[in-house]
Amino acid sequence: MKPATKLLAAAAAVLVGTAGAASAQTLDKVKKQGNLSCGVNVGLAGFSAPDDKGNWTGLDADYCRAVAAAVLGDATKVRFVPTTAKERFTALQSGEIDVLIRNTTWTLGRDSSLGLSFVGTNYYDGQGMMVKKSLGVKSATELSGATVCVQTGTTTELNLADYFRVNKLDYKPVVFEKADETLTAYQAGRCDVYTTDASGLYAQRLQLQNPDEHIVLPEIISKEPLGPSVRQGDSQWFTIVRWVHFALLNAEEAGITKANVDQMLNSTNPDIRRILGKEGEFGKGIGLGSDWAYQIIKQVGNYGEIFDKNVGAGSRINIARGQNNLWSKGGLQYAPPIR
Amino acid sequence: MTATTNRPAPGPITPPAKPNLLYRPEFRQAVYQVLLVVCLLFAFWTIANNVADNLARQNIASGFGFWNRTSGFDISQSLIPYSNQSTYGQAFWAGLLNTLLVAVIGIVFATVLGFLVGIGRLSSNWLIARICGAYVELLRNVPLLLQLFFWYFAVLKNLPGPRQSIALPFGASLNVRGLYLPAPVPEPGFGAVLTALGIGIVLSIAVAIWARRRQRATGERFPVLWTTLALVLLLPGAVYIALGQPLSFQYPVLRGFNFQGGIAVLPELMALLVGLSTYTASFIAEIVRAGIAGVPRGQREAANALGLSSGLTMRLVILPQALRIIIPPLTSQYLNLTKNSSLAVAIGYPDFVSVFTGTVLNQTGQAVEVILLTMLVFLTISLITSAFMNWFNKHIALVER
Amino acid sequence: MADTSRQQLRRAHGAAGAIVLSGVHKWYGEFHVLRDINLTVKDGEKIVICGPSGSGKSTLIRCINRLEEHQQGQIVVDGIELTSDLRNIDKIRAEVGMVFQSFNLFPHLTVLDNLCLAPVWVKKKSRAEAEKTARMYLERVKIPEQALKYPGQLSGGQQQRVAIARALCMNPNIMLFDEPTSALDPEMIKEVLDVMIELANSGMTMMCVTHEMAFARSVADRVIFMDRGEIVEMAPPGEFFSNPKSDRTKHFLSQILNH
Repeated sequence: MKPATKLLAAAAAVLVGTAGAASAQTLDKVKKQGNLSCGVNVGLAGFSAPDDKGNWTGLDADYCRAVAAAVLGDATKVRFVPTTAKERFTALQSGEIDVLIRNTTWTLGRDSSLGLSFVGTNYYDGQGMMVKKSLGVKSATELSGATVCVQTGTTTELNLADYFRVNKLDYKPVVFEKADETLTAYQAGRCDVYTTDASGLYAQRLQLQNPDEHIVLPEIISKEPLGPSVRQGDSQWFTIVRWVHFALLNAEEAGITKANVDQMLNSTNPDIRRILGKEGEFGKGIGLGSDWAYQIIKQVGNYGEIFDKNVGAGSRINIARGQNNLWSKGGLQYAPPIR
Repeated sequence: MTATTNRPAPGPITPPAKPNLLYRPEFRQAVYQVLLVVCLLFAFWTIANNVADNLARQNIASGFGFWNRTSGFDISQSLIPYSNQSTYGQAFWAGLLNTLLVAVIGIVFATVLGFLVGIGRLSSNWLIARICGAYVELLRNVPLLLQLFFWYFAVLKNLPGPRQSIALPFGASLNVRGLYLPAPVPEPGFGAVLTALGIGIVLSIAVAIWARRRQRATGERFPVLWTTLALVLLLPGAVYIALGQPLSFQYPVLRGFNFQGGIAVLPELMALLVGLSTYTASFIAEIVRAGIAGVPRGQREAANALGLSSGLTMRLVILPQALRIIIPPLTSQYLNLTKNSSLAVAIGYPDFVSVFTGTVLNQTGQAVEVILLTMLVFLTISLITSAFMNWFNKHIALVER
Repeated sequence: MADTSRQQLRRAHGAAGAIVLSGVHKWYGEFHVLRDINLTVKDGEKIVICGPSGSGKSTLIRCINRLEEHQQGQIVVDGIELTSDLRNIDKIRAEVGMVFQSFNLFPHLTVLDNLCLAPVWVKKKSRAEAEKTARMYLERVKIPEQALKYPGQLSGGQQQRVAIARALCMNPNIMLFDEPTSALDPEMIKEVLDVMIELANSGMTMMCVTHEMAFARSVADRVIFMDRGEIVEMAPPGEFFSNPKSDRTKHFLSQILNH
């Protein structure tokens, strides 16, 4: 063959060869790699943010650790991939991350057209608004003509438009890519209102120079069920991540904590024995070891512990459990049984 | 040397025998061209197919069906009517126009400032040369994003809230929400003022042409600038007053949280324009300086020896030659400015990338289509800009030879 | 009419010639390029200046129309003293034409535009008048047919003749030549020298830096030899070539005449 023809043949082979992108089993890939690539927020206190030592902390970050503990038996085997609101879905679609746990709202649109599936809700949120106390505003309905700072690529941007339209109020949006800039602009007086998920409002209010000069308005203008999501088409991986979430809830319900999990191994309660892998072969059914849930609780804790530590009473943000309490305590968090 | 005696008698010229088709260079070249085109087409088709397949397999929506769907979000500045009930397609145009607005105004500012600084750097006035030099070194060595943040947050931090606005002449006011200008509202009869303005412009062009001809004919120069100013300002002004000032202004008024009415110039736009044009001007200044320095010293000496003043030397001898050196790199600075305008997203200006490649991409999740369109848009802008500059360059080069 | 007023002006200044240099010094930093130059050039006189490179001969004539600034001494051109007064500089530049070694035509303008530029913009002549003069001088330097070409399309000799015509269009009283033939191929030197000889015969005051000794012999009233910033020898050509007084002149002449 002439060199030119050879080159063409090679080029054609490469192009044809790339057909059929990787839809390999995520579980095998994660095990082979030896770590979990977990997409998190670039910085949202309480959910995922690096602390002063560079360790990722927060509810979402701990969920990443829980998945790693279940799959790899080691909660430290997580590669945290910070993503902006804009980049997050592409990162998941392209396979750069194995799971997206980044305070992302579960909607039908996202479930149906982005090629991803939400496994559950690890935080029930709603969109709120923050204003300067000095404006004297008591309710969102008084905000006609206001300027609103909002982050791009979020459901927040759409809810905002809906809320003002439905209530026949006029407003001007100012849209930023990153939460930090949005907040800085609000603080500099560019906007009257800063809007995002209520959890974010409470967390970010603490970053302001004088948190007490700002109030969060009582209206919650949307439902924002935040949860982890995975790529569609890998039901095994979907089931694993979903049951990591359920295991965290079930552990709290059964009273298994990081501190008492080793004692609990000797418990006679069949619920607890099934969770900790002492009875039945539930781990094997989802492709994991029988101690998968034990590892999660031992290394990360149960849902209540994670919540408390990161956003609840044990944290600076101090958000009440509210809707995020267990169903048995008046909240919405409900997990199917391990059985 | 004399010719040899055995030379054959000159007969009718016979064309050399044509070689076999396969060995003819033009045939071979054609074959390779066709092969290349076929391979490229095949490659594109494979890639497109591949992408479509993979998207379908992963259950990701594809196609351009989103174009006519309701966007559901708002944009803070739009040159066309736009609301959250508009479509993604309209959001595309709103964003694109915002980018073009910044690009066009930015290019004008950057060019004027760049030429002034570039020429100033060569000034024999020590202070001016130093100031211009410092300007260039400072501006082009600090990353643009930082400069944008500086302008934006520095501006925001130092401007008062809407209730403490700085009042400017003619009912304009300036505050952290932007610069609010009175909006002109034409009343009956205003058409005549516009007509007068049109006549003034046409007349001043005519005067300019006439003055040029007269200078060629008699050598006398005519004060074109002043006549033009008089024609363009005084003529419509006189008509305006004669007709009883048929124009009212809608003044911005503080109502509720913000000023309402009038024309609002967003602080994001101001910061972006200032940032982009001062930054790009520093590069243009260097290009201008290099262009002027690239004109041989002898040209200036020859012009001086002929008695041309330094201003005339610059205008008639140096700049026309320097422009040939300046224009190609100037084009790439214009393109850079246009591309750099996408940093707008960092300071909340709704440019094309922020609106379309940001919000629209996110709300639809159709990264492939949106990125494809984005690339197409920037490619088109770039090609149009460089086509224009190539034409301009050729126009100037033609004068050369 | 203009001439008579200039005569009066010159008389008023008490100057004795078209160009008077007295005690002129110039330094480039530490380097002393011109040392105590005293020279009077009379109206219509032709001076040829020669000397080794770096002797200051180009600098000397460039001082006369202020392309270089002298630091000490006095230069009076056509009765006008060269000071830093911009009006004087402009007046002198309008009186003095200059031809450069590297032609320095404006490459973006046609030959005709090169010739008309200064008359139109500086002397405020009409384009038609300027063009008429331009064509007349192109005729005189024997290239009328090149009027609409660009400099890049001409040979070196033609370009230098255009440069001479361009200087003449300003109607100068004095012409300065800075090595006008040094950048030319040998076969083109003659065409330029012919123009210069013709110009000399018309009575123009000329100062010419050149190594064309045949030209010096046939045209010059005086030949000046410069070395290390000084005028070493100054004499009519007959005397200069046959009986040089200084050893430096002899050495220089032996070098340029014997090759």
